[in-house]
Amino acid sequence: MIALALRLLRLGGRRAWTSAGLVGAGVAVATTLLAISVGALHGLDERESRTGWRTPAEAATGTDPVALLRLRTDFAAGRPITQVDLVAPVAGATPPPGLPRMPAPGEVWVSPALAELMGTLPAGDLAARYPGPATGLVGDAGLQSPDELVAVIGRPAGDPVLLAKGGSDVVPVAAFDRTGDGVSTADLYRQLTIVAVALVVFPVAGLLGASARLSAARRSERLATLRLLGASTRQVTVVAVAEVTAVATVAAVVGVVLEAVLSPLVALIPLAGSGWFAADVRPGFLPCLAIVVGVALLATASAVGGLRQVVVGPRGVARRQRPQGARGLRLLGVAAALVVLLVVNSALPVVSVDAAGVVFVLVILAMVGAVALIGPLVVRVVGTRMAARARSVPGLLAGRRLLDDPKGAFRPLAGLTLAVFVAGFLAPMTAAVAGVSSVDATTLQVTAPPSEVAGLVQTTRARLAAIGLPATVSTVGDTVAVLPRDPAGLDRARTVLDGLAPGSVAQTEAEARHEDTVLTADLGRGALVVLVATFLVAATATGTAAAARVLDHRHTLRLLTLAGTPLAVLDRARRAETVRPLLVNGAIALVLGLFCASPFVAATAALRPSGLLTLGGVLVAGTALVLAATAASRPLLRSVTAPDQERSR
Amino acid sequence: MNLPVPGLHARPTPPAPPAAAAVDLVKAYGRGEAAVRALDGVTLTIPAGRFTAIMGPSGSGKSTLMHCLAGLDSPSSGQVFLGGTDITRLGDAALTRVRRDRVGFVFQSFNLLPQLTAEQNIDLPARLANRRPDPGWRASLIDLLGLANRLGHRPSELSGGQQQRVAVARALLGRPEVVFADEPTGNLDTTSGHELLSLLRTSVHELGQSVVMVTHDAVAAAFADGVVLLRDGRLAGSVTDTRPEVILDALTSLSGVR
Repeated sequence: MIALALRLLRLGGRRAWTSAGLVGAGVAVATTLLAISVGALHGLDERESRTGWRTPAEAATGTDPVALLRLRTDFAAGRPITQVDLVAPVAGATPPPGLPRMPAPGEVWVSPALAELMGTLPAGDLAARYPGPATGLVGDAGLQSPDELVAVIGRPAGDPVLLAKGGSDVVPVAAFDRTGDGVSTADLYRQLTIVAVALVVFPVAGLLGASARLSAARRSERLATLRLLGASTRQVTVVAVAEVTAVATVAAVVGVVLEAVLSPLVALIPLAGSGWFAADVRPGFLPCLAIVVGVALLATASAVGGLRQVVVGPRGVARRQRPQGARGLRLLGVAAALVVLLVVNSALPVVSVDAAGVVFVLVILAMVGAVALIGPLVVRVVGTRMAARARSVPGLLAGRRLLDDPKGAFRPLAGLTLAVFVAGFLAPMTAAVAGVSSVDATTLQVTAPPSEVAGLVQTTRARLAAIGLPATVSTVGDTVAVLPRDPAGLDRARTVLDGLAPGSVAQTEAEARHEDTVLTADLGRGALVVLVATFLVAATATGTAAAARVLDHRHTLRLLTLAGTPLAVLDRARRAETVRPLLVNGAIALVLGLFCASPFVAATAALRPSGLLTLGGVLVAGTALVLAATAASRPLLRSVTAPDQERSR
Repeated sequence: MNLPVPGLHARPTPPAPPAAAAVDLVKAYGRGEAAVRALDGVTLTIPAGRFTAIMGPSGSGKSTLMHCLAGLDSPSSGQVFLGGTDITRLGDAALTRVRRDRVGFVFQSFNLLPQLTAEQNIDLPARLANRRPDPGWRASLIDLLGLANRLGHRPSELSGGQQQRVAVARALLGRPEVVFADEPTGNLDTTSGHELLSLLRTSVHELGQSVVMVTHDAVAAAFADGVVLLRDGRLAGSVTDTRPEVILDALTSLSGVR
């Protein structure tokens, strides 16, 4: 049956290829994004498994630890350096991953990226902080990413770093075999990735449904013949769905392969503060297979869903029953969706991070449902007004057509309405990212034991004067603040402080917030990618649905043409019937999106300049895309209404 | 072409039940004042093993009648029997099975699938039903219809007459209880039209097939064993002497003002 279906669907004509290509491209892009997301999750796991040794479990009392470990974050040239101090390491014990042997006291093992940085910066800026020159390089097995800055330093027992403030507590290590600390930022990223995938999946499902409808509309006579010869509804559905499934499956494979090919480039995109080993961001065979199968299933399900409103009878493809109007009952569904949102919203603080993403997907689901429910209703209202107040033929035609079939008229707009919803959701986030207020990045702060603060200030002043680095040294409580007159002297001042208070953490306010900054930047970047992907997919869906609508209405359109309606008038009517409902629907979706984002950021963030810029861009792009999609189906309109039009096969 | 074909034996004609029957068939479009009754109480039987033509002027309801008889359209009231089955009571799935297993279709526009070869088109209903066609029957049909060296061709590579013969082979392959033909010669030139009608008659007389044909062409109807006349959705008589001039007379008197 499937083979027969594919034979029947053998593509013919440039139009068929174009539409299959568009759908394929949309699905391939979405699949690549999906594969990148899954790859990122895989990469986060891999990173965690390679860096888990730095946060080991504490050795049980009474057992002999192989070393005491202390972790601190240092900075040089604005980049964070992970410094691992191993105090009194036991020679011959199993070393941490990436090291050939346990470092002896005084030895300094550095990551390749740190070695390079030490080579480029003056010794006083960085290298002088370490007890000696680099002993050797830390291998990939112990590194988060190729660009990670790591120093593993062996220290003798009783070294003063044990007593320094800042950094982690000193942990007695039983073994360096831990492959994850369980409380990493990876969990947060995992949840965010799930949300991103959910946001992209709905427009993709819409695209697949629209293309199944187009596929059926284009082949209506073929499918009717099959029904005539005794093909069951199921068999005909298989035929109509086969093309979409086949195209989507091929596109999914292309998307996965594309991700693998692009992985060296993807690996350059920093997430959680660093890039990747290319192998980390390749999801592996089984997940890739799962992605392809998942997309194929999604394609089949959406295609079957898209055909639900269509009945293929032996005498032709028709819309099921008479197109029903959009009833006010739909508002109940919208109210239900809002209730879901409010309930989840109040529950969100209670839910653990692990489930937050999934819970949030529920919210998105409810909102998507609300948008889909309210859409046809809005179309009806707009149609009523247009028809009542129309002064021109196109306005009247558009209003009547909207009223005749609000659901059908909403279909081409559904994808973009959803995209606007996503934009409303993400705009405040991107704006909040851009709006991170500037914090101090020039004053180093060190916390010292109260008894040593005065002494530290004295020695620091003396040492800075000795090396000719003019700076203001002051104290606030037990914190010593050093403000170099020349900001370029920051790293040299830090080296000085490090020498005077070994192992302490000297950093600026900006550096202290480094992780937050990275997270917000990641969020902004991710939001932008999701936004662009959503709009691309939505545009494809809009074009596809517009074409299917022309084919659905070919008889009416042809009669209008035969009655003397110029093509330009039909076109203007088509534009009017899409743009106006889109603007109204878009406004509603936008509000819902902002509402959805409210648990994360204040919706007012969208009123910041960058937020307004995003929203304005979205609005302009949305309108332009709808116009382009309508324009793209103009040749189809022309051929459908042509007087010598042969029955389209 | 309408010579007895060696190797083909007439099916034993089922004795009593007619091939199809309609009882008080009404098909109305629209509602209330604006309602149009395309069929207005038609009762008739289609005898088995005969070639029956349905004729009538445009708008007489002949196509609607055929669609109702074949289960393609559902009547507003009345009953349609196919064999002994009341098909007006059947749901979509059962109707689909009826179309697949018990009737065959030949249409004016051929309704072949352009992507399939002639052979694949002929086998399509059987494939849809997951059946293997009887190879001997299939071979003799192909031989009878003169399609042996056209089997590998696509419809676009065949003449109109050849395409319609493929459609006839497709309709006959499953040995249906009735073959419905809707203006089968409408798209053919005179010669291939007559050839096709002869073939249909052969299938009735030599193979025992029941055929119902809708046509407005008296010459085409002359190939049938009997003609049923329709006017304004009502039965308007029948003709058993199927000479063209007799049929034309009957048609003319039908169009006259009553």
